Amino acid sequence: MQMPEPDQAVLDRRADICRDLRNLVAADCVIDSIEGRRAYDADGLSAYRQLPLAVVLPETVEQIAAVMKYCHGEGIKVVPRGSGTSLSGGALPLADAVLIGLGKFNRILDIDYANRCVVAQPGVTNLAITHAVQADGFYYAPDPSSQIACSVGGNVAENSGGVHCLKYGLTTNNLLGIELVTIEGEILRLGGKHLDAGDYDLMGVMTGSEGLLGIVSEVTLRILQKPATQRALLVGFDDTGSAAKAVGDVIGAGIIPAGMEMMDGLAINAAEDFVNAGYPRAAAALLIIELDGPEVEVNTLIDRVAKVMDDAGASSLKISNSEEERNLFWAGRKSAFPAVGRISPDYLCMDGTIPRRRLPDMMVRMSSLSQKYGLRVANVFHAGDGNLHPLILFDANQPGELQRAEDFGADILRACVEMGGVLTGEHGVGVEKRDLMGIQFTEDDMKQQQRLKCAFDADHLLNPGKVFPHLHRCAELGRLHVHKGKMPFPELPRF
Amino acid sequence: MIKVAGLDDVAAAIADAIEAKQHLAVRGMGTKAALGRDTSYDAILDVSGLSGIVDYQPDELILTVRGGTPMHEVEAVLAKANQMLAFEVPDLHKLLNSNSAGTIGGVLATNASGPRRLTAGAARDYLLGFDAISGRGERFKSGGKVMKNVTGYDLSKLICGSYGTLAVFDEVTLKTLPKPETNISLLFACDDSDAAVARIAAIFASPHEPNAAAILPRAIAAKAGIDISATMVAVIRLEGIDVSVADRAAHLLASFERGLEIDNDASTSLWQAIRDVELLEDVAGDIWKLSCAPASAPSIIAALSDQFDLAYFADWAGGLLWLAGPSGGEFGAALRAALAANGSGYAQLIRDQGNSKAVIAPFQPLPAAHYALHKRVKAAFDPMSVLNFGRMHDGI
Repeated sequence: MQMPEPDQAVLDRRADICRDLRNLVAADCVIDSIEGRRAYDADGLSAYRQLPLAVVLPETVEQIAAVMKYCHGEGIKVVPRGSGTSLSGGALPLADAVLIGLGKFNRILDIDYANRCVVAQPGVTNLAITHAVQADGFYYAPDPSSQIACSVGGNVAENSGGVHCLKYGLTTNNLLGIELVTIEGEILRLGGKHLDAGDYDLMGVMTGSEGLLGIVSEVTLRILQKPATQRALLVGFDDTGSAAKAVGDVIGAGIIPAGMEMMDGLAINAAEDFVNAGYPRAAAALLIIELDGPEVEVNTLIDRVAKVMDDAGASSLKISNSEEERNLFWAGRKSAFPAVGRISPDYLCMDGTIPRRRLPDMMVRMSSLSQKYGLRVANVFHAGDGNLHPLILFDANQPGELQRAEDFGADILRACVEMGGVLTGEHGVGVEKRDLMGIQFTEDDMKQQQRLKCAFDADHLLNPGKVFPHLHRCAELGRLHVHKGKMPFPELPRF
Repeated sequence: MIKVAGLDDVAAAIADAIEAKQHLAVRGMGTKAALGRDTSYDAILDVSGLSGIVDYQPDELILTVRGGTPMHEVEAVLAKANQMLAFEVPDLHKLLNSNSAGTIGGVLATNASGPRRLTAGAARDYLLGFDAISGRGERFKSGGKVMKNVTGYDLSKLICGSYGTLAVFDEVTLKTLPKPETNISLLFACDDSDAAVARIAAIFASPHEPNAAAILPRAIAAKAGIDISATMVAVIRLEGIDVSVADRAAHLLASFERGLEIDNDASTSLWQAIRDVELLEDVAGDIWKLSCAPASAPSIIAALSDQFDLAYFADWAGGLLWLAGPSGGEFGAALRAALAANGSGYAQLIRDQGNSKAVIAPFQPLPAAHYALHKRVKAAFDPMSVLNFGRMHDGI
């Protein structure tokens, strides 16, 4: 993975920089030793590791601002880090970058039921938000699988989703306000307990910006009343085509479940071997459909969904009649990744999105790619919104298998875009998919996005080497095409 | 007037404007021309020709349509498949002295969202992707045609609510949802706005899934044909399948006192009157919209009622106040002062009866650091200030 060339001048000044940083935060909040920095050398994309120049763990927003301002003044790169659970390398350090960790920002500041929101520091975990309000019957809806560990600041940076975003949306649809620190050390508040931006939706563009535009120092999140009833269906199909069609039929019937997940034969059997949830082993595809909401609504709709499944040719169907049963239906799906980890020394978890109706085509393509690369693939999908998580099985100890797995993954993402979808549904681009961006966007598309970056970070100090494959200097991006041989206002500076 | 038929025309018009150092006013059907600052411009870029339904797949919950398509066409196509745009597009043409709800591009450019925005999200939450020409005259696309998408910056959010100052839409892809089978509403008599806000909060803390909530003072409620004896009426809408709506209504009426139910027809027409601010139409003076934390609404109203003879009602559980007051700068200044004293939010001038925009900024003024960032973002898309220059803020 090619990362930007480290600035030798910065590397040479490492000791001085650490000393300067110790003037800005408590001395023990600067981690300098190799052993200390090693704990931060990778995120969830653990195949890639890099010791950062130094790790800083600020405790107040003023300290974040001071460190950012210092780095900006000195031309030192910055890599922000929440919990380091990113699966795309969003928090992968650079050798010449200061890594700013938000782990000490771990307090919930305000639980406001009257306004149905929670104000929290960015290092609070996603699940901790729900835990803080669940005794009063509330919860925070976006539920990425890593929610016991991932931070809400990281959720904003990645615009995290989860199983239930089919009905409840992603982080961006549940975020009311943020405080952010710019690379120049400015502290800005966007949004709040009120709705809508009233001017440019900068909070909307910060969400999913993968640490490239600013550091989130506080979040205001919408909380919802827990649904009265949750029930699930576990449905087996003899072929993935029928399962995929059944998913579309549910939507076509005017029903939006809380979640619709699909697993293929390999994933089903790996899960059964691991947790024994009672999945139909012979099924080519398994759907787990969850409905939530008021009791009468769920009980009525579950029968309608069951009928849709029957009409679609389901080979088996179970409906949960208790919380235990519902949780058991989910047990296999929730353990899918570790289950697959049992049947293979290593796996690559991919993330792409396709239009739902192309699922059968994608399964055919995956099958042929699996043969092409000689590697197995187990499939777990957020079928309701077409977000795939193919798990490519390989053995890193076998020469060339990691490369083949990555090539397989890249071909899957190419297929996603070819079928009308996108490279990443929820894991982010990071470094993992950076070099594939050209499959989905033209140079002009990417240049326009980078011009936005110039408005926030003209010196390209925040999280360089992520998301965009080619760096264009802001001065170059600001140049307008010469029209009819004349450049308008040639004497005016443009960024 | 420069009338364009396709994106190449738009690119050419913008390139010409850049060279001639001209400002363009971007216009679909001109229904929202009254919003924002008065600006001087050299020509109108008429984008109504960028019209038409491109692709509609109800089972995929996506609709791709060109920005200049009239809303009535969009709504007709959705109605045939029994679907909707969940953010509930308002029709403010009477307030804005125009003749329709305008184009989908205008709706997105103004982030125009109605009562269901409270629970379902705003226009910006339903734009999955778009392609456009920037103020640089360059074509670019962003987003996609799927909901789960975090590939690159989310420019869809930025472009919604940017009032045409950043780029000109061509194709936009929207997320659609099935229409609910039915809706009814519950009216609760409350003694004051504090009680109304608290009643609504209590209902939202129940598992009965209200999707919209409004607060109508007696006189306003009377205009809506509501004849219950109460200082303040809290209106709660329930949507969904018939049996569920009936069950939830029964539970809520049993749990909360002084409530009554109105049927599907009455509920639909009441919420349309709320959505389109019909309830303030015949009140003299300017109309402002104010977004605040719902629980702050009573204090804001109290502060303003001391100073002005106020006609108002609230949508979004109290978080959206529509207020009618005297023209001139004093009223808007007082709104913004009340807001500043009561948490976060903004106030925007919607109906300007007395050229108030000459003396007060129609959009909430930005603090210095925000303004500077807005300018840099504007420059990223429109460095020569071709598109709707000055429409939102001076210099942007």
